[in-house]
Amino acid sequence: MKSKRLMAVWKVSAFWLTVIGLSDMAFAHHSFSMFDRSTEQVVTAKVVRWTFNNPHAWLYVSALADDGTETLWSFESAAPPQLIGRGITGNTFKPGDELTLMFCPLKDNRPGGALGWVKMPDGTFLSTNDGGCDGSANNISLWEERLASGVYLWQRG
Amino acid sequence: MDKVFRILLTFFFHQLKAPRGKMTTRRLIRVFTLTIVFLMASNLIERIPTGINTSLAQGFGAGYGPELVVQPPTRKFANSDAHYAWLLEEAQGGTNHSLESVPRWDGLWETAGNTHMQLFLDGYGFGGTVKEGVLTPAYEAAYRERWRQQVEEGQVRYDRLTHCEPAGMPRWLLEPYTHEFINLPDESWFINDFANGVRRIYIGENHSNLYGTHSWHGDTIGFWDNEKLITHTKYLLPADFTRWSPMTSNQFEVVETWELKDYDGLPRLEVQVSFYDSFAFVEPLHAIYAFKPATGLMAAGHRPQHWECDDSSNSYLDENGMTNFHLPGEEGFKDPRGQTLFPDLPGQSRDPIYNTTLQNQSK
Repeated sequence: MKSKRLMAVWKVSAFWLTVIGLSDMAFAHHSFSMFDRSTEQVVTAKVVRWTFNNPHAWLYVSALADDGTETLWSFESAAPPQLIGRGITGNTFKPGDELTLMFCPLKDNRPGGALGWVKMPDGTFLSTNDGGCDGSANNISLWEERLASGVYLWQRG
Repeated sequence: MDKVFRILLTFFFHQLKAPRGKMTTRRLIRVFTLTIVFLMASNLIERIPTGINTSLAQGFGAGYGPELVVQPPTRKFANSDAHYAWLLEEAQGGTNHSLESVPRWDGLWETAGNTHMQLFLDGYGFGGTVKEGVLTPAYEAAYRERWRQQVEEGQVRYDRLTHCEPAGMPRWLLEPYTHEFINLPDESWFINDFANGVRRIYIGENHSNLYGTHSWHGDTIGFWDNEKLITHTKYLLPADFTRWSPMTSNQFEVVETWELKDYDGLPRLEVQVSFYDSFAFVEPLHAIYAFKPATGLMAAGHRPQHWECDDSSNSYLDENGMTNFHLPGEEGFKDPRGQTLFPDLPGQSRDPIYNTTLQNQSK
């Protein structure tokens, strides 16, 4: 009986999640199939370049590993017109800025991913995402709690 | 809208309280469903200035103004030529506008929904299934595979725009980010900043095809019927409605009726569209697309730029048929902020303000 009830709840959940999922069909000129959207990871790094160009802006950062090596990470953001609508411009991130950011990694584990949100040095969060990662206000709220608990890696489901 | 909310709220709490006793499976499902509906409604409602929320059913940007309603022509036509000729006859040859009288649709516009997915799916969102008998067998089979990828894999594996193909028609109608509509007495220019899609509409002209082939936006002629602009587009290349929608063939043709509507102070530019395609569709199809003023972007002072792609997009179709990226340092990486072909000359950087480089960053 209990498992039947759980199955029913699961079915209804699946239905509504798929309906809600439609809003996740973002507009970009490419599919987001290369990103692992079930994994969200946070890193603090230094801005190398904010490429505010169509079709997508890219944030390139240099991150220092525990062994002292530096790696150039590449994160895809939304298109400039989308970002401008959120108050983000080509001058928002400057070379040398130290930022904390959340991303969904590339499935093939190269140093890159889809940018979710960026936490500015003054503590404010910016939604920098396109369809490849969740940078919504809701997810930022969840991440504020996680960061306060020292969590930097999150896997959905 | 408040009334709907009150009813929802009352029903919700009623389900939570009654009936006495056990929480049955049916009640559990009902409560859960209502919770989701309530959450969705409360999340979406602040984005709706007025009218019915149709964002889930009517595509991106929907929920602005009243529900979009398709108005198919009152009779059937053998082809798009006959349809356009009939509309021209109905308008008694059309209205001759002057520079002073031609309708003005100035400013930046963004998509405000459309009904095209309802043509091809039963049900909405990922729960929808491909309708039978709307597309011809070959096109239906191709679409079933595309929709399977969207539903089962969460993404269509590859989008033809990835390698910088123009959106073309009909995709021009729903692509972001801004649209501009410039009307002159003899010509209209419809511009989408996405991939620089420019449609030119020649008023009162006949079709022309000097290139002897088809193109992304084809050849568009039109006429004014008072405040409405009626257009006819032919000679289009094969394209698609979007990457999770069906493909179109090189026989795809379109008849459009554009009109600026006003809903209690909310301007909405609407276009009733009839799609003809003897290869792809069993019968002609009819949909409505809409646009609303891009108030946020205009307030931010946005000025559309040339939409780059060839020199700035690093996404590509990989050997597994999936979309992937070239990263800095990898073969094939294109640097939109790198040097021109003449790096030895002063002033050839494409990053003149910040002068950054991506070379030698990994240590």
